[in-house]
Formats: sequence, structure tokens, C-alpha cells
Amino acid sequence: MSGQADSFTPVAAKDVAFLGTRPIPAGPYYDAAWFEDEREAVFRASWQCIGHVCEVPDAGSFVRRELEVLSASLLIVRGRDGALRAFHNVCTHRGTQLVEEAAGKRSRFSCPYHMWTFGTDGALVSAPDFEQFSIAKEDCALKQVAVDVCAGLIFVHLGKSPPPLRDWIGEELAAAMETLPVARATTFSEYVYEIDANWKLTYDNFQENYHLRFIHPRSGGPAFADANPFGYPAEFAFHGPHRTQTIWTNPAPVPAPHQAAAFARLAPRAMAEGLLATPHARKYFALFPSFFMLGSPLQNFVHVVYPLSATKSRGVIRLYWVGDDANASERFAREAVMVTAHDVHCEDVNVIEAGQRGLSSGALSHIHMQTQEALCRHLFNTVEEMVEDYRAAEA
Amino acid sequence: MSGLPAGFAEWDVWLAECALPTAPQRNDLRASMPEDRRIAFHAAITPRLAEALALLDATPLAEHDAAQTNLMRLLLAYPHIAQAVEVHGPDEAKHARARPRVPFTRATADL
Repeated sequence: MSGQADSFTPVAAKDVAFLGTRPIPAGPYYDAAWFEDEREAVFRASWQCIGHVCEVPDAGSFVRRELEVLSASLLIVRGRDGALRAFHNVCTHRGTQLVEEAAGKRSRFSCPYHMWTFGTDGALVSAPDFEQFSIAKEDCALKQVAVDVCAGLIFVHLGKSPPPLRDWIGEELAAAMETLPVARATTFSEYVYEIDANWKLTYDNFQENYHLRFIHPRSGGPAFADANPFGYPAEFAFHGPHRTQTIWTNPAPVPAPHQAAAFARLAPRAMAEGLLATPHARKYFALFPSFFMLGSPLQNFVHVVYPLSATKSRGVIRLYWVGDDANASERFAREAVMVTAHDVHCEDVNVIEAGQRGLSSGALSHIHMQTQEALCRHLFNTVEEMVEDYRAAEA
Repeated sequence: MSGLPAGFAEWDVWLAECALPTAPQRNDLRASMPEDRRIAFHAAITPRLAEALALLDATPLAEHDAAQTNLMRLLLAYPHIAQAVEVHGPDEAKHARARPRVPFTRATADL
């Protein structure tokens, strides 16, 4: 029922040899000029996860999301026709931001400045004294942004001519993600952080298990086994710019008593709904550039790192659940799972920032990554290639 | 008169301090509670945790009365405190450094 092989075989160096073994230049982890190019080369050229359909269930439901890396404020709106749309949160009259609330439900969006009013489909519905303008209402609709959904997760793309989301993710990964609870989630728990660290450095912390034994000896201790003391994954796979790994954990973990009490109260529903038999239940999905999700039989754990500057990022972490809290036991258990996950993350913050301070000092020209940090290397190789291509095109 | 369902009056002493309505407040509680209080709360709740949850499970969440709501809130504080007591023990203070910087922004219990 654990969903993993009985024995552990680590990923071999030959399996990831195609990524190379060179030292990785340190500059891209703090250099402001490099980051400026990443904005266009990486983030404008990529689909980015900004939410889940459970946040916009009804006609008129909306969320506002800030994508600072592209200086964008976005409105994600469920239209009266049921369609999901994304717009720049910008009035087409003189550019005023339309909405301040983080989320809500409206039939119209009115600009506070001159009361231009837009429908849930983005069309300009009314504007005072509109006959005084020399434009047509049809030309004044909110500026739309490409939006699509995979596994219940909402992605946006702010570049020109974006590829279909499913092509970007790839059919194999998309189909696997859609088997997971996140695809049916109706609610979520969430915690956020801002960190003084580059987005890649922050994200890489969650791509390698090498540090687990040292940074999470207590909170992560039950997951380690003598056969795999570092908690290394059993499999890596690379899918274009994306990657997956399969975690191999202690087959006989001894969780803390309150954690055991929580898991015991979540298991019945998971078993009843067949979640424990999900083939991808233990898989880690990393979608380029900065999204990852841990498959879990009980819930899905999604983490997105949003860059704020070359050395500052914001992380949004969600635990997606299927169904509202059914009873007191489930409410208690979900709180406990949230607290446990939160504890692990809190242990990471300081050490990531310590890494950033070291890199930003300029003391190192390069950093080093071993076989079990291959996902970090793959991310860097992908980013580097995109930035170099962008620079060549700009030149 | 107890603020908790019949049979749980012994936990009344924890109500004012620990029966908090939101996850951020429960997280703050963990940070502000002295270690001896955390240990005492954990020791008080642990033996009757299953019994208390079973009692609450008998009533739909939306129909909880004030006493049941108080009990639910006490039990929601328990994993926060238990994580400190059972997992981190004497290292809790060291572990707590970054926690205020990672706020809970949504918990299903608070919806």
C-alpha cells in the first residue's frame, strides 16, 4: 500500500550524464543583469501557475494575482458563460488598476477613477460620457492574457503566441497530474513566505534531498531509512524543461503521535476514494520554471516560487484537498498535516538565505552539484540556454 | 459552568488561552507559550484526544454549539503545540526563528 518498490536503488551518475558535470556559475544566482534577462527569456516565455479552479467556482468569481517578475497584475475571472478568462487588471481608459481585493464575486468590474465598467467577459459595458471619446466600445475591452487549466491548476502565459498549455507540459505529465487529488480539489490550506534569495536558489532547495538529513533531522526524520539515509529519490525523469522524481521513503516510518493520529483520520476517505492506489501518488512534478507538486495519496502539496528581484522571492505553498472538512476528525487532521508541512518549510528559510548571502558576496565563481542534485542542474541548464538564446536574439 | 461539552470540564483551564479561532492565532500561541505550558497542554489533551474527536464527530460541523466549537478550537491548537513538544522538544526555540515569516494565509478549519 506504500506505492513504492520494496528496495531502494539510487539514481546512477550515468542516468544523468547528459546534463554534464561542470561546476555551475554562481553569478546567475544573484546577478541583477542576469535576472533582468530571465524576466523576458524565462518568465514571459513560460506558462506559470497562479491558482486553482476551486477559487473561481461560479460566474463572476475572480481572483487578483500579482506577477511581479513581469510587472503584471492579473484578474482571473469566471464569466457568465462559464469560461475562465485572464485579464490585465488595468482599465483600458487610462490604466488605473481595477480591483484591489484579492478575491471576490462580481457581475461587473468598475474602474474607481472614471467608472468605466467591464463585464466578466472583459467587454466594456458602460462608460460615462462615452460619446465624448473617439473610439468604439468594442476596442476598449480589457486586455486578455492566455489562460488554461491542467489538473485543476490555472496557468497564465504573458508572452506572444504561447503554445497550448498541454503541449507545454507534455501529454505524459499532464495525464499523470490529472490522476491526482489536485485535479478534483475543492479547497486548500495555504501559507506564504518572502525570502531574501534568488528564485532558483529557493526552488532548488525543494529539488534535492541531500539536505534533508541535516536541516530536517526531527521534522523529516521518520522519512529516512537505513537503506536510504539521505532520502534520495529512486527515479529522475526529464520532460523537456520539466522534470519528475520518485521519492523513496522509509517503508516503516514512525511518525510523531499527533501525526499518526492525523493520518489515521485521513486514511479512511483516501482509501474509500481509491487515492492510495493512484499510480503517481509518490511522484514529484516540477514544471518549468518554478512550480512543483508532490503527489500524495491524501492531498497534493503545491509550491510555486515567484521571483521578486534577483535576490528576493515569494513562495506560495498549498495543500489541496478534495471536499470540505467532513467532520471534526478530518478538520483536526488537515490542520495537523498543514502544521507538519509548515514546520519543514520554516526550517528551510534561514539556510536558503544563508546560501544567498554567501553567493551574493561574490566569494565563489562556481558552485557544485552531485548526481542527486541533477534536478537543480537541469533547471540551471534550461534557464541558461533560454537566457543565452534571448541574448543572442536581442543582439 | 463549563464552556466545554459535558465530561470535558477539566480542560476549561485552557479555554481562554488556547481555544483560538484561526490558524495564525494558533501558530502565535505556539510561539508565545512557555515550554512548560506547552508540555502541560499536550499532557492534558493527549489521553483524551480520540474521545474528544469522537464526541465532536457525532455532530455535523455546521451544527456545533458554543461548547462544541470551543472544544474543536482546543483540539485545533493541539497539533501546533504537539509539533513543538513531540517533534522539536528542547530545540523548539531554535526552530521557531523563521516561523513568523511564513504565515498561514488559509486553513480549512477557518473557512
